[in-house]
Amino acid sequence: MAEQIKKNKNPMQTIFTRFMLVVAFFILWIGAISVRLVHLQVNQSEWLREQALDQRRDKLKSKMLRGSILDRTERALAMSVHVKSLYADPAEITDVEKTAQQVAEVLKTKPEQILNDLREAQEKGKRFVWLARKLDEDAAQEINKALEDTKLKKFDLPKFVGLHWKEEQKRSYPYKKLAAQVVGFSNSDDVGQAGIEQSQEELLNGAVIQAWQDRDRLGRVYDQSEIKREPPKDIVLTINSSIQYKVEHALEKGVKAAHAKSGVAIVLDPKTGEVLAMANYPTFDPNDFSEFPTENFKNKAIQSSFAPGSIFKLVTYGTALQEKLIKPDEWFSCGNGVIEVGKHEFKDNHCGRAISFTKALAISSNLGAIKVGLKIGENKFSNYIRRFGFGEMSGIELPAETRGLVRPMEKWKDDSLASMSIGYEIGVTALQIASAFATIANDGVRVRPHIIKEIRQADGKVISTTESEKIQVVSAEAALKLRGMLREVVLKGTGKEAALDGYSSAGKTGTAWKYDPKIKRVSGSKYVSSFIGFAPADDPSIVIAVVLDEPQGALRNGGQVSAPIFREIAEQTLPELNIVPDETIHPDNLTAQEIPIETEIAPISTQKKDAPEKAEKTATSKKIKETKKENKPPSEEKKSIKQKAVMLNNENKDKLSRERIKQKT
Amino acid sequence: MSRKRIPKAKQNQSPKRERKPISWRYSLLTLVCGLFLVAGLFGAARQHFSSIEFGIKNSRLRKQITELEAGQRRLILAKEIALAPDEIKKIAKNFGLKETTAINIENFPANPQLQNKPLAEKSSETKPRQTIESEIAAVKKELNKSAKEEKVEEKSSKIITKKDTLQKIPVKEQTFTRERLIADKQF
Repeated sequence: MAEQIKKNKNPMQTIFTRFMLVVAFFILWIGAISVRLVHLQVNQSEWLREQALDQRRDKLKSKMLRGSILDRTERALAMSVHVKSLYADPAEITDVEKTAQQVAEVLKTKPEQILNDLREAQEKGKRFVWLARKLDEDAAQEINKALEDTKLKKFDLPKFVGLHWKEEQKRSYPYKKLAAQVVGFSNSDDVGQAGIEQSQEELLNGAVIQAWQDRDRLGRVYDQSEIKREPPKDIVLTINSSIQYKVEHALEKGVKAAHAKSGVAIVLDPKTGEVLAMANYPTFDPNDFSEFPTENFKNKAIQSSFAPGSIFKLVTYGTALQEKLIKPDEWFSCGNGVIEVGKHEFKDNHCGRAISFTKALAISSNLGAIKVGLKIGENKFSNYIRRFGFGEMSGIELPAETRGLVRPMEKWKDDSLASMSIGYEIGVTALQIASAFATIANDGVRVRPHIIKEIRQADGKVISTTESEKIQVVSAEAALKLRGMLREVVLKGTGKEAALDGYSSAGKTGTAWKYDPKIKRVSGSKYVSSFIGFAPADDPSIVIAVVLDEPQGALRNGGQVSAPIFREIAEQTLPELNIVPDETIHPDNLTAQEIPIETEIAPISTQKKDAPEKAEKTATSKKIKETKKENKPPSEEKKSIKQKAVMLNNENKDKLSRERIKQKT
Repeated sequence: MSRKRIPKAKQNQSPKRERKPISWRYSLLTLVCGLFLVAGLFGAARQHFSSIEFGIKNSRLRKQITELEAGQRRLILAKEIALAPDEIKKIAKNFGLKETTAINIENFPANPQLQNKPLAEKSSETKPRQTIESEIAAVKKELNKSAKEEKVEEKSSKIITKKDTLQKIPVKEQTFTRERLIADKQF
């Protein structure tokens, strides 16, 4: 029986069965794996991919550096640099107290504050807490050294659990207060808040760029990719930083001397309309703008309008000359010095019996200007006011420019024409009036003033340059005649203080009463004193406008407080622009008070206080002698003592002989 | 018909098939293919790791470029700050310089000989008192001598004609002194 069974059990069959069992097992196993794989690849692929990327990939967000603002000589007035900010990821930190203590020691702050911040963030599940912001490279390196944990395996700095650096940018204004109102400033989020920073925000603002970094298990970056964006643009201004500095310096001095509330000065190139300098005082430092009153941020050259007073007579006389209603040498009667227009009596004490129109402008006779204004008539006068650019924005590339105040003709009163002829019942900005003078300086052609010279890409390629529109306001002949009249203002009139050394100048003084909102009329105690002129008088290269608000000193007139500022600015600016002097220089009238004295020759402390001029002269003569001494041929210096003695003897002889001659004579 | 009896033991003996020996060529090819596959695998792995290595180096260099650019920008900023007029003024004041204007400088003609000279030079050297005194004594001695000579000359000049006088007087030195005086005055 047993044999029977043995016979029935075929060994091959057994092997086959077993083999099939193994195969089935494998099939099932592989099938299960396949099912799992399908499940992972089809159903969970996205989630898994994200998990994998999260493990090895970092996503970085950073902002491109904001564009720079340069002056015309390529000096950076505003530029951004990379800085680092330290932050903590509370989720990574286990011992919060210890971390807070160590970080506070390094940052020299109170640990309680950091501890509170970290704990609060941990409770709320936040993964980002600022610890220190906008540190420069040196400070960041110091922190890295101080916080270095040698045992920690971390690739990025600082080698400290839970702390990380974030790249940020900081806006810097290297020239500090220079052209602060023009350049403006940007806030902590790098958004322009004033000046060019605000008006050119779109061009200057750097786009946010995203970058991905693939890291290995040690945290080393082995691959990086980022989305490229168009870099921000650089803006080149027409401002010349050197001239701007001189203008600001002169303005500050002038405002302080006149005890004025504030002051504005503009330097324009009449031919191109380029603003070479635009200064305001008081000013501010854009690096620490929060330290200054907000009133200082205002660019009063374009954002404030004032009653121009006598400087507006330029428009009155310009119009009359253009319309050939007057001749510069034509005389008119002043009567009793009083003129009645409408219900208003205008008095003039300077006029005398009769004077020429040139003289009337020179002495700033209101009577003369009113008579000229009445000759012109309301229609023409209104038309020319608009043509000179008043009542409309100049179009300069700066924010919040005001139009000024020019009432429509329908709202004019009986005496409005007379008032406007002498610069009242009208509001103008300093830039508008400077532009009007530039029109006369440029043979009657008004060039729109602008402050942006060109816009550049980061690689220096120029994208656009500013081209100003030109409008012929008055004829070249009328402009020439008016220039001659304005020259007389400086030579014989109210603007004598504006006479330059080495250059001819022309201009007009203005002293206008200010409107007082309290009493709702012009106040006799508050003035706006101004002087606007150009130089050289025959072929003007620059137009300078100086406006002082509420001078409080003994001297208040434009010719007394603003003209000297004009003079200082012009005398320093013209040589810098390589303008050839058209008049002789009088050394006695030089603006400089001091000549550098070599301390070895004449120490400053030993000079007599009561005789500074004498000390200067002696220092100068000593310096000259020193120079001459140095210029001598070297052989002369090496002469023997004998030769020196002979020379001294000869000199003595000379003296004796001269004395004899004197005695004889 | 006779039947040949076959022993049981030999009955149903499985037939022996002659198997062909594996060709050495086939083996070699398999080996080569295997090696190629393994080499490829290693090659790919090596390439992968070297690419990561290059990636790491690349990212380091990129970081270095960024840092250098940032450093350059910081230097430009530092230069601009140093060139700011207020800073220059501050430094100049520290050096003891006083303010002046360009127009003043232009009044003094530039001396080409002085252009390459340093702005400040030591004007005199300190000498021991004895040396100075000895020099003064020597000068005085020479002056006395020349005064004596002058007296002799005055006596003899009565005899010498006008023409001779002109020859004897050191004309050059005299004119030089006058010229210098005149030049000083004119300046």
